[in-house]
Amino acid sequence: MFRIDIEKRVGRFDLQPRFEAANEFVVLFGPSGCGKSLTLQAVAGLLTPDRGRIDLPGGRPAFDAAARVNLPPQERNIGYVVQELALFPHLSARENIEFAIHRWPAAERRARANHLVSLLGLDGLEDRRPRQLSGGQQQRVALARAIAAEPSLLLLDEPFSALDTPLRTLLRRELASLRRRLDLTALLVTHDLGEAYALGDRIVVFDDGRVLQHGARESVFRRPVSRRVAELVEMHNIVPGEVVAYAEGVAVVRTPWFTTRVRDPEAPVRGQVYVCIRPEHIIVVREGREARETGDTVIETEIIEEVASGNTYRLYMRAMPDAEVGEPYVFEVDVPAHPYDVLGIASRRDWRITLSSEHLALVPRSAV
Amino acid sequence: MSVADQAATGTGEQPALRLGLGWLFGPPALLFVAFLAVPIAALVWRAGSSGELSNNLTSSLVLDSLRLSALTSTIVLAVAVLAGTPLAYLLARRDFRGKMAVDLLLDLPIVLPPTVAGVALLVALGRRGLVGQELDSSGIDIAFTTTAVVLAQLFVSAPFYIRTAKAGFESVEPVYEGVASTLGASPLRTFFRVTLPLAWPSLLAGAILCWARALSELGATLIFAGNFQGRTQTMPLAIIGAFEAGKSIEVPIALSVILVAAAAVLLLLLRLVARGGARV
Repeated sequence: MFRIDIEKRVGRFDLQPRFEAANEFVVLFGPSGCGKSLTLQAVAGLLTPDRGRIDLPGGRPAFDAAARVNLPPQERNIGYVVQELALFPHLSARENIEFAIHRWPAAERRARANHLVSLLGLDGLEDRRPRQLSGGQQQRVALARAIAAEPSLLLLDEPFSALDTPLRTLLRRELASLRRRLDLTALLVTHDLGEAYALGDRIVVFDDGRVLQHGARESVFRRPVSRRVAELVEMHNIVPGEVVAYAEGVAVVRTPWFTTRVRDPEAPVRGQVYVCIRPEHIIVVREGREARETGDTVIETEIIEEVASGNTYRLYMRAMPDAEVGEPYVFEVDVPAHPYDVLGIASRRDWRITLSSEHLALVPRSAV
Repeated sequence: MSVADQAATGTGEQPALRLGLGWLFGPPALLFVAFLAVPIAALVWRAGSSGELSNNLTSSLVLDSLRLSALTSTIVLAVAVLAGTPLAYLLARRDFRGKMAVDLLLDLPIVLPPTVAGVALLVALGRRGLVGQELDSSGIDIAFTTTAVVLAQLFVSAPFYIRTAKAGFESVEPVYEGVASTLGASPLRTFFRVTLPLAWPSLLAGAILCWARALSELGATLIFAGNFQGRTQTMPLAIIGAFEAGKSIEVPIALSVILVAAAAVLLLLLRLVARGGARV
């Protein structure tokens, strides 16, 4: 089990990562500059924490301030793919890979490099220098080099950020299956929610140097523990309200704009809350049809702005408060291009929307 | 910016913007090129037309100084590289107390007149110098020996190597070294297999500059080592020696031609190194 619980002050920035990971794909997710990359550097041994402890997956401590343990990077048995890849430009692809296993006997070293070359689809490119390789090929060489010495822990710092979307999708799939085959712990840093969702068995949400939430992917994405996490996982609709009743795992939440039910079985939240929902989980109701389920909340809105982005439309839909006084609330709603056309959304501005109770998340307003 | 970097930006593939100022800037530019070219051409022409060139080249004055110059500048180069490389690396990679002072100290010999370096060396290592006194009492005498020639050349030329090497090490992104260490490489292996090869073009360029400077060293050597044929008289000093001895101008011409040729070869090498470095 990999464990980290350290503190490090870098300039005026306080880094305090704290989480653990089994042999699984763990995504460190958060905005740029939140300390994810620094955390990887600390795990790799390139940044020395001020306090705390880092245990490698085998249980061996890599760093323990109390016991004065601080293994140098070369003794941590970690594969580290940095954002800029840092392939050695003066070495061929094969030499880059073999760099990691230079102590192996020559025959085994060559066999291992051959194996990795074919595993990562680099056949025929072994003798090329990095600058003679495409971005995706460089990516694969960096990955092969990182796993060559059979590390117990693989660190990946935004490894796909320089690639175009189709290649990124392909490499993500390959990486996930590679990790399963090697059965090692992988920590991947990204600020891309899609990447976090595609790869993470477990998500660690970072903000401002600390871990806001960590847990299985679904639990983090469906049940953020605070308003900030809800924002980071792109629940753009965060509506202040109050739990007015609760029975059998269903909370009744009243907001100035609507009253809704929220299925909330695991961590009951009471009192002052935020109701959080993703833009794609709000459904525009077809004219003349009632909401699909009677339990769904129906809200009258007016489209005040829309932004087309390829195959979806983002609608900004204003709802007026139930009372005479108060501010309107503007929902962000994503509608795929096809329903957008079928419903004829462009034809008028007044539409009803529904929030389905299984997609709503409640966070206490007191949580930061 | 290293020499390699300069070459890289200099060989950009964008077509040059033409402002049409050639008619205005061309004539003074040509005039200046002529000003530089004519003396060199004259030197080569005189050397070629005298018919005495081969005799002069094999005179003992020329041969002795040639031998001495080759010997001392090679030793200087070796010492500068062996002792200067660690210093250059530390300056590029580490922060330490007094780094500013060391940096400044390295610039001084480049800026100072070499004669000042000679006086300083004499005051330090001369028979009655600060350190020289102690050496003298234990029977070691440095001033006015071949060792003094080496020290004088080293003093003025090693900073050229160290400066350039430092810039070379600085141009190697530390992330390469970090990644190398996570790949199991010891610090020494990281240095020799990653840092050094990546900084290599700059180290080579620095070595060439250092060697060229050592070959042309005159002022410091004259003051600290004197001008004795076969012992301290390197080629630049031999030119002065020949003039002072009232010999014909033919010997200085022969020596000058050798130095011009050596300098031209070194500069050409420098260009090649810079271009090779830019390609990596």
